[in-house]
Amino acid sequence: MDSTVYLLLSIIALTMLYPFYYVLIASFNKGSDTLLGGMYLWPRSVTFENYRIFLEDPKWMKAFLVTVARTVSGTALGLLLTSLVAYALSHRDLLFSKFYFTMIIFAMYFSGGLIPYYVVLRSLGLLNTFGVYIVPSMLNTFFLLIAISFFREIPGELKESAHMDGAGEFVIYFRIILPVSMPLLATMALFMGVGQWNSWLDSAYFVQSENLRTLTFRMMEIINQSNAPMDSVAVANRPGGGVTSFSLQVTSMVVSILPIICVYPFLQKYFVHGIMLGSVKG
Amino acid sequence: MQLETNVTGTEIPRGQLWKRFKKQRVLHLFVGLGMIFLVIFSYTPMFGILMAFKDYSISDGIKGIFTSDWVGLRYFDEFVHDYQFGKIVRNTLVLSFLKVIFAFPAPIVLAILLNEVKSMPFKRFVQTISYLPHFISWVVVVGVSYAFLSADIGLVNRALLEAGFIDQPLNILTSPNYFWGLAVGSAVWKEMGWWTIIFLAAITGINPSLYEAAEIDGAGRLARIRHITLPGMKGTIVVVLVLTIGSILGGGLVGSNFEQAYLLGNSINNPTSEIVQTYAFKVGLSDGRFSYASAIDLIQSVISVILIFSSNFIAKRVSGSSLF
Repeated sequence: MDSTVYLLLSIIALTMLYPFYYVLIASFNKGSDTLLGGMYLWPRSVTFENYRIFLEDPKWMKAFLVTVARTVSGTALGLLLTSLVAYALSHRDLLFSKFYFTMIIFAMYFSGGLIPYYVVLRSLGLLNTFGVYIVPSMLNTFFLLIAISFFREIPGELKESAHMDGAGEFVIYFRIILPVSMPLLATMALFMGVGQWNSWLDSAYFVQSENLRTLTFRMMEIINQSNAPMDSVAVANRPGGGVTSFSLQVTSMVVSILPIICVYPFLQKYFVHGIMLGSVKG
Repeated sequence: MQLETNVTGTEIPRGQLWKRFKKQRVLHLFVGLGMIFLVIFSYTPMFGILMAFKDYSISDGIKGIFTSDWVGLRYFDEFVHDYQFGKIVRNTLVLSFLKVIFAFPAPIVLAILLNEVKSMPFKRFVQTISYLPHFISWVVVVGVSYAFLSADIGLVNRALLEAGFIDQPLNILTSPNYFWGLAVGSAVWKEMGWWTIIFLAAITGINPSLYEAAEIDGAGRLARIRHITLPGMKGTIVVVLVLTIGSILGGGLVGSNFEQAYLLGNSINNPTSEIVQTYAFKVGLSDGRFSYASAIDLIQSVISVILIFSSNFIAKRVSGSSLF
């Protein structure tokens, strides 16, 4: 019985892990050699050519930089606004708080759909700007509710003594609330960061400028190209090198996964608590 | 989600209300900032629903939502009579329900399996790995599917050919026969581990003395799972099921139907991969038929809302647990 459980779980773990591993070894293998097939465990003809082409291609580098920029600024601004609003709403004696909460919850359940949203972005002049990645996601209603319940557990004495010393709300928020809320801020930052990093829909919907494309969008482009029904593997074949569209594709995938794997240990420490707080109370 | 909100205002005399508001003005300023974002990015688009009943042209800008001419249900009528209507509605429903049937039980099974493991390092190892795909974008997941399943370079096809199981590569990515399996399979792969967190937490909440008592009574492992673990998870299972069914048209717990259908879809598997959302996207943003696309979107939202409320109602009746 025990061995069945261990066997099943080992199979599940392997199924989850191996795809990442295969992508990694394919990115370090000569592209034309990978196409011959039969490579399962180790790179067969090791090369850094894929990464060289990737790094030298201004298209990929630009996309990478745009992605880093939106991740950093989007996360920072999202954290700031969401926690600031949550701080205000965490006051139990706040007037009209029922009205505010109704507005928030209703907005979580109902939406106007993609087309009206597009029209709104268009009339705000956000289409085709870097701002479209940042501004609409500054207030995250899901984390707003999590942050409110977190702030409510902070002992009131902390705030009261600051009030006595004449501190205003802004000072209390920055000097007292934020410093004692590191676990919350870390959780929010990591989730918002991963969301920003992975996002491609806004780049596909709302942006036409080639300078504003994100890494994930570029990846989608190259996957779609090689995935098209009339599949021709050598689409991106560069003269001389053994780089193929597939090897570039796996390389970009490694570049996109790597930062997430790097923050993953920190992520894991917090997210279990985060998801429990935020979603279901059984 | 439970939020206590202190309702004040009604019992307080006017003068005092104003005094308290003035005292809280900085806080209201903070909240107001957030409400501006809500109004702009959530509430204004809701008014945009009017577009579905109007002859809206993008050159009219945002006020065109109100000023353009009414056309009644013309666009709804057009969608229902669209030659692709039957196919799209069928695909949307089949994909959504297949996901509930296969992707909803998967994390429950994984949680029960993990709970039976005594070695903590092994348990933690499997958990850590199973969460990982949740954080990876759908684009990468599709890239992985391509690397494994494509007809010419896919690892799986190559291995099967080498082993002599097949003579011809399987066109998993470019055949309508495989799309539903592909979508459900990749959704399970991506999100199974993530939802296990909640079910494992539910199991942790079960009183250990129940297991001890059952063991003394001679209950085997399967009997303990059936009579203690599963009933102990019941509340959580119901709540998650309500959540799943409420969001089923969007993809339920297991990620976005749209992203999957959009990324894994192509002209050959279109007969099974075209869903309401991808169709609305195509006629809306690509063809610029804003009113028509809004009408299609609206039908989907209305069905979703009905599903949320009815599944919640049924859950309340059946088990006493519910979301709201």
